[in-house]
Amino acid sequence: MDESQVAAPVLRPIGVKSNPLFAPVHTISEVHKNRFLVRNLIRREVRSRYRNAALGYAWTVIEPALLASVYWFLFIMLSGNPDEMYAVWVLIGVIVWSCFSKCLNAATNSLTKNMRTIHLVYFPRSIFPVSGVGANIVVTLMSCMVILPIIYIYDMPITVHMIWIPVGVMMAGFMALGLGMMMAPLNCVNRDVEHLVRFITRAGFFVSPVMWTAEMAMERGAWGEAALWNPMVVPITVVRHGLEGKTVDLPIEIIMASVVASIMFYLIGSMVFSRYERGAVKYL
Amino acid sequence: MTKTVIKLNDISLNFPKQRNPLTIFLDFIKKNDRKFKALKNVSVEIKQGEVVGIIGRNGSGKSTLLRVISGIYPPDTGEVLAAGDISLLAGLGTGFSGHQTGRENALLYGSILGHNEDEMREKLDEILEFSELGEFIDEPLRTYSAGMKARLGLAVASAIHPHILLIDEVLGVGDPNFKEKSKAKILSMVKGASTVVIVSHSFGLMTDICDRVILLHHGEVMHDGSPQESIKKYYEIVGD
Repeated sequence: MDESQVAAPVLRPIGVKSNPLFAPVHTISEVHKNRFLVRNLIRREVRSRYRNAALGYAWTVIEPALLASVYWFLFIMLSGNPDEMYAVWVLIGVIVWSCFSKCLNAATNSLTKNMRTIHLVYFPRSIFPVSGVGANIVVTLMSCMVILPIIYIYDMPITVHMIWIPVGVMMAGFMALGLGMMMAPLNCVNRDVEHLVRFITRAGFFVSPVMWTAEMAMERGAWGEAALWNPMVVPITVVRHGLEGKTVDLPIEIIMASVVASIMFYLIGSMVFSRYERGAVKYL
Repeated sequence: MTKTVIKLNDISLNFPKQRNPLTIFLDFIKKNDRKFKALKNVSVEIKQGEVVGIIGRNGSGKSTLLRVISGIYPPDTGEVLAAGDISLLAGLGTGFSGHQTGRENALLYGSILGHNEDEMREKLDEILEFSELGEFIDEPLRTYSAGMKARLGLAVASAIHPHILLIDEVLGVGDPNFKEKSKAKILSMVKGASTVVIVSHSFGLMTDICDRVILLHHGEVMHDGSPQESIKKYYEIVGD
């Protein structure tokens, strides 16, 4: 380190954009290079969310459980006797969907929320959406602890397919990261984006299999099958089927469409982000 | 030592004004160019080993210039060249979280300033010693006084040893006792770093430590010369 200080390095350009086409790869390498920072930012976020709460991290489990019980009650009132596992499927739906919606909101607001830091230090800005999404994935994985009592109550077998539970959660988060990276620079320019995204995540709740399952949709004919093309069907169903002890059981074209969509979201999102973030932070 | 380490080639930087659909429409039909020109054709060259001060009235673009050098804002025209790592010291304690302990915050702030994990582990003892927080270091930051936070911030910030150090008004934080210590620490950082660019309103300090002072006015370089001359020019401009 001392040697480098003696022989001063050569002049290099500052603030020059790399080609946005390489952004998907650059984002990964930047996050890897700054992994200590990402880890610290995630820890800060998770800690501050459960500050001064007597129940602390237990809220990660209590919150989705309470929500699910409300939806379950509502559904019984509307349609009458669903099958006994229905409450569990709603609970899973709520957990995975709220992971997606929290991640999407966090990524969208990541630049505006960290305005002060952006004004005072420079590090690759993709760190902000990535750590925002990371924090929500961590919180969601903690909520997944709610699965343990479910396994006990319903006397479910523990299988290797439960590996799919975290996979589904991460897939939802990854999808949100791509979409959020498209929105974040825009949100700096106009905060309307934030409100629009929040509305979309609320509306999306109903067209995604939170209160219904893929199986129910398949019984409903053409409209039901059309609903399966929603990219969020796959992550939620992956988690449900993982808990049930099977690898996701959906038509292959539906799975492929969802995987391709989430990769496309990331590719486009990282490119849009790297192209526009530099101009957008001037609005902060 | 005459190697150029920072070179600003005719840079300009515009800030967009906040817009809503109505103003966008009005600007479009009136062909308005609603931009705030923060820096106008600034060309500066800084050699290795120099301590350069930047003065000017509020809003004259001093902080913006440092942000351009550190890469926060890319210039709209012109180019910025720099050699070696650059560190901007501004607003001590960026990103501090009240819910984490002093130790965790030190690691967090260190990582925000660009240290990796190994460097931070290595420097942590030195940081904790300088911060003089004693047993408080494992208490949550929200229990700290403003002075204690400032001390921790400075302790972490001063652990960096960049080639180019940019300082934006961070002198004189904390209680009088610590103020002296912090000033001494920053001065020792200035001596330790090979090249320093400093923004301050404290002209006495500028005259003492700077080799050269640049006067900015409305985003333009008005004068670039010895501290005494630039300060004289400053009063001429402020006077009228």
